[in-house]
Amino acid sequence: MNTEAPNRNSMLPFIWISAVGLLIFLIAPLVVSMFMVRVLQLFFLSVGLAVSWSILGGFSGYWSFGHTLFIGVGAFVGGNLASALGSDWSPLGILFTCMTAGGVASALLALILAYPLLRLRGIYFAIAMLGLAELMSELASNIDVVGGAMGLMTPDIVPEKLNPAVFYYYLFLVMGVIILLIAARIKYSRFGYGLTSIREDEDTAKMLGVPTERYKITAMVISCGLVGILGVLYGFSLGYFTAPSVFRVDFSLNMILHNLIGGIGTLMGPIIGAGIMIFLTQVVLGNLLNLHVMITGLLVIIIVLLAPAGILGTVKKRIQTRRLEKKPKVFDDE
Amino acid sequence: MPVGVFVQTMVDGIMLGGVLSLAAAGFSLIFGVMSVVSLAHGAMVVIGAYLAYTSWSLMGIDPLFMIPCIMLVMFVFGYCIQRTIIQWAVERSSLVASLLVTFGLALVLRNTLDLIFSPDVRSVSPPYAFMNFGIGSISFDVVRLIGLAASLCMLIFLAILLNRTGFGRKIRATAQQPFAAEICGINVAHIHGLTYGVGTAFAGVAGVIIGIVMPFSPNAEGHWTLNAFVVVVLGGVGSPTGALLGGLLLGLIETFTARFIGPSLTNAMMFLILVLMLLFRPQGILGHAFGESR
Amino acid sequence: MSENDIILSGKDVTKRFSGLAALSEIEFEILRGRIYGLIGPNGAGKSTLFNLITGYLPLNQGEIRFNGQRIDRMATTRINRLGIARSFQIAKPFHELTVYENVRIGALFGSDGPRDTNEITTDALALTDIEAMADLPATALTVGNLRKLELARAIATRPQLLLADEPCAGLNATETEEMLNILRTLRDRGITIWLVEHDMRAVMSVSDRIFVIDAGVKIAEGLPKEVANDPSVIAAYLGAPVKVTGRADPGSGTPEA
Repeated sequence: MNTEAPNRNSMLPFIWISAVGLLIFLIAPLVVSMFMVRVLQLFFLSVGLAVSWSILGGFSGYWSFGHTLFIGVGAFVGGNLASALGSDWSPLGILFTCMTAGGVASALLALILAYPLLRLRGIYFAIAMLGLAELMSELASNIDVVGGAMGLMTPDIVPEKLNPAVFYYYLFLVMGVIILLIAARIKYSRFGYGLTSIREDEDTAKMLGVPTERYKITAMVISCGLVGILGVLYGFSLGYFTAPSVFRVDFSLNMILHNLIGGIGTLMGPIIGAGIMIFLTQVVLGNLLNLHVMITGLLVIIIVLLAPAGILGTVKKRIQTRRLEKKPKVFDDE
Repeated sequence: MPVGVFVQTMVDGIMLGGVLSLAAAGFSLIFGVMSVVSLAHGAMVVIGAYLAYTSWSLMGIDPLFMIPCIMLVMFVFGYCIQRTIIQWAVERSSLVASLLVTFGLALVLRNTLDLIFSPDVRSVSPPYAFMNFGIGSISFDVVRLIGLAASLCMLIFLAILLNRTGFGRKIRATAQQPFAAEICGINVAHIHGLTYGVGTAFAGVAGVIIGIVMPFSPNAEGHWTLNAFVVVVLGGVGSPTGALLGGLLLGLIETFTARFIGPSLTNAMMFLILVLMLLFRPQGILGHAFGESR
Repeated sequence: MSENDIILSGKDVTKRFSGLAALSEIEFEILRGRIYGLIGPNGAGKSTLFNLITGYLPLNQGEIRFNGQRIDRMATTRINRLGIARSFQIAKPFHELTVYENVRIGALFGSDGPRDTNEITTDALALTDIEAMADLPATALTVGNLRKLELARAIATRPQLLLADEPCAGLNATETEEMLNILRTLRDRGITIWLVEHDMRAVMSVSDRIFVIDAGVKIAEGLPKEVANDPSVIAAYLGAPVKVTGRADPGSGTPEA
């Protein structure tokens, strides 16, 4: 009976691969082109976003179609705070203060929204989040004090002599790893198992004593807080942004898509999904910008029809079926 | 506030509302009968507009005369889409899958339109496009009036189709009890295909009218899908009456927001209404909308 | 009989659905450590009563007390925390999880504080005799074993009271006897059980006491022998006197003449 968190032995190959991968990513900027550095930076950001989304959507089954809301909130809170802090602060000080502020603001907003919103199920929750994100975007564009229409400038916090692309590369890489570790910690905890039961059958979970309301809200607060922190970083990396550049529907959709392709509810799924999508759109089709949307759409259709559990999910199912076939039939009446 | 301004805003709202109602009627039907949220609905509307545009620029025929033809094309298109992609998706996973698949479809359609027609904004301008007349101090856009009239006619047509024909009866039976309908000899899969076809046809018609009344581009598909959602949330699912009510209400909300709050905030208001309705009254103003959302 | 022995009681319990009374002024007292039966024709309100007890539906009137404490206005989760578990006739396992993982959810949550989850889970699996299938996906199980999984998951929440909704429905004679033995073992461990059943022989052979309801009203209560021979019960439900033996015999609830 082994279905506790994967034990040390079964984890070993996985840990080795991760360590090697991490090492490669750490030295990559020294050897690859600037173009690749930027592509990988986008990859790390996407992974961070997709894994954060997954804490709410993948683990507990509440698919938010409007997570870009928190990227925007993070970016604007971070950007406005940075301007307020002025130039007396050290760049790193500004960075960390703004990241904290953006994360806390997003988490608080999520907490307020969670009570009414998490009462909605399924697609209604999805659409409500979408509507909310669009609403915020429109408001941010139209309310001058926030600076959405004119745009916000963020201070340059990159250390001297360092290429900004490389700086943000490492920043997003570190954030991505941290978020992944947080998600892993959650997944194999009592909290995570509770979220899984909510996803599977919320009513039954309640009847087994799972504190569903508290868990859903917590998942949402964590998920949105992390996205908010990424939003702060994204705002800084842009240097200058307007409301439409941080409240982007395609951010929301990509978070879902990366999970869908890789396998919803898994840890590696969003990484695989983000990797595939970014490779396809940036590298393979980099020049054919006008086909991006179509490729995305076709991918969605293909995945839903052929591999609804995503790549990892389908692989897991195949392995499981094969294992079942090999096992002698013990589950008929003896 | 001056009475004249109030009445003008109301008139504008009603004229806009008629079009919004029609643009949502198909979506409402599909959701009511099949429980499928077709996120591709807005794309179908926009396709209708482009079909009208093409016939107008190639042959100079007034789009309104092209309606029967465009309806037929869209009907067949919709039927095929449902019997293949959507049916497969629902069979394989669940209804959420239909959401995703129609979303993917919307993206593909949008990109295709982009490639064929370019992302530029277009409109169809028949000779009466810029005429208007006044009654007292209220001015009426001829184009919008025609749009309203056409929309009301099509809604009545849909209502007759659903309530007075055998075809409509089968659709309603399938909506209420698909299993029982199957036992009675109704080919449910076929009916679903027909329903989606009808919904798409009406989306196309709405697109034709929209093409005359306001500018459009491939990007507008998102807007028209959300419009359908808000109309249904306001007025209720499944009936042309609900769509009419919801559409008129939304039209009034939009014109009043534009006039008295700010023209750039109409979208914000639409989203606000959507979110508030979903949170506090998902069954719509009349009841029957997204009742199972909790 | 001290007050402490009463684990669940209901007074004047009424539930209406749009004017139709599904349950009218039901009264009951369940003593700790016994197995109780609840029988009645279809639509009598048996599942509704269970729904009221677990907090899934609100009462219109009356009160329900668990260990003396009123629970009729509490949330489902809290009621489970207090020690009431329920198993369903239509098993609803968590599809994506294995048998072990399913039961573990019950062990992780459920009534008391921190505990050895693995021990509780394996214990529940052993009790219901599905230990061998622990690593199988829940969807691979037969109906009989799914029912056992339901039970195992409910037991893993360490309840004081188990409400079992038709645990023997659709099972053959051997499976039914296994199920009843599991229930007896649970009772011996101190868990009070109230089960709804249509299989007359099964419920008569395992219950210490039986309640009978018909059309939302309690029409009889007592020892299995008494209930089996009660004329109003026979008229409403049994059709003819049921011979009460010590074991469940093959066949369904059709009574002998």
